[in-house]
Amino acid sequence: MIRLSNVSHTYGDEPVLEDLSMSVDPGEVLAIIGPSGVGKTTLLRVLALFVRPSSGTTELDGRAVWSASESERLALRRRIGMVFQEASLFDASVVRNVEYGLRVRESWRERLRSQFRSVVGANGTPEAVREALEVVGLGDKLEQDADSLSGGEAQRVSFARALAYDPKYLMLDEPTSDLDPRNTGVIEDAIGTARKRGIGVVVATHDMHQAERIADRVGVLLGDGFSEVGPTERVFEDPTDDRTRKFISGELVY
Amino acid sequence: MPFEPAVDLLPALLDSPFREGYVPSIVYVSLYVSVIAVSLSTLVSVPVAIVMGFVDFRGKQFVKSVINTGMGFPSVVVGLLVLFAVSNQGPLGSLELIFTKEAMIMSQFVLATPPITAISLAAVTGVEGNVRDAARVLGGTRLDVALVVIKEARYGIATAVLAGFGRAISEVGSVLIVGGNITSSDGISKTRTLTTAVQLEARQGRYETAMVLGAVLVAIVLLVNAVVVRLGDTGGMGR
Repeated sequence: MIRLSNVSHTYGDEPVLEDLSMSVDPGEVLAIIGPSGVGKTTLLRVLALFVRPSSGTTELDGRAVWSASESERLALRRRIGMVFQEASLFDASVVRNVEYGLRVRESWRERLRSQFRSVVGANGTPEAVREALEVVGLGDKLEQDADSLSGGEAQRVSFARALAYDPKYLMLDEPTSDLDPRNTGVIEDAIGTARKRGIGVVVATHDMHQAERIADRVGVLLGDGFSEVGPTERVFEDPTDDRTRKFISGELVY
Repeated sequence: MPFEPAVDLLPALLDSPFREGYVPSIVYVSLYVSVIAVSLSTLVSVPVAIVMGFVDFRGKQFVKSVINTGMGFPSVVVGLLVLFAVSNQGPLGSLELIFTKEAMIMSQFVLATPPITAISLAAVTGVEGNVRDAARVLGGTRLDVALVVIKEARYGIATAVLAGFGRAISEVGSVLIVGGNITSSDGISKTRTLTTAVQLEARQGRYETAMVLGAVLVAIVLLVNAVVVRLGDTGGMGR
């Protein structure tokens, strides 16, 4: 479980997250909805152990992350994957991109060996890489250059890259905001696959219908923290918080 | 005697700059000095560029200005400074480096490092932040992130190395001052490079041979460019 307790974060003088507490379990999909600029990306970066919040505690599987040693924190960080809003692929082939997470987890000796094998052309594609690419429907694009992919394909590769090393938790920052319905469908199916594998998925999205389709729980982030966190159906059908109700019905415009 | 003029010509031929082994020896000295100097510069410049691209520290802008000034530093002044350093009274006098290839490497190193650092820094800074973030979030250590940045910036870094190599191999002033443009008694180059040889030929009015040596210099620069570009393009960088 990832647990945030009383987390606040500021950029310079500007507060982004204020006294926020939440948790994510393995095998659940939690959607974070809220207007732009409300701190969804920052929250995801805190959950991915990528940003140290200005105050509050971040725990992963019972371990306080930011008071752990650097090597332990690296090990904790490696249980989590994150997909950014832009695909952010490396200038290399699809397979090189997707296997990156596996490579950095190898010892230097193993890495040198596979580097050598790839130079002499004897390097097989790891099964996990194939599988991850098949989840996003790109099993036939292994050798293609990343920069020759369409935007939708690039985002799908980015998803596969995070899935390949079998993280326990996956943070997705607006993973479909620039995608057409077909690519969006592929990503949403892949989120379902990740959930079945027992991965805890957090999706930041401004698409409320998407949240309704894929999430077990929804957190509504409005300015100063969560206005409401709860089971998807309950939050959408019967929000207890007045501002949540207004936001969902479109009355509350930012 | 019908053969006499030919016999008279023989010493002149032997005296020509194209005596056996002469051209290869000056090509060798040129390449030896430039390649070693540029390699050393690269070993210093790329890590410096990476650190400057990653870390914010006080005085960073000042260091950048120093590097940029270094790009335009007059080579004869560098030559003079290195000459003072290696001369008998200089701090490195005991190493007896004056008029040696090593002294030439020192001055080439000083000349090539600023452009390699500045262009590498531009290339490293040009790697998008979200690619760095991706490497980190996928489980990379700081070293892994640095390696990704080097890989992403490989074309820019290759350009930087080429610019440094171009500056080093076409350099005349400083290598003339610290190297002395010396050949041994058998005509084989000790510290004579293609550039100083061209300068000598031209000064003595032998323009054809100067042109030929100049052409050899241009050919080498072209060849090195082609090889580096090709390395950057293909599997050499682990694509």
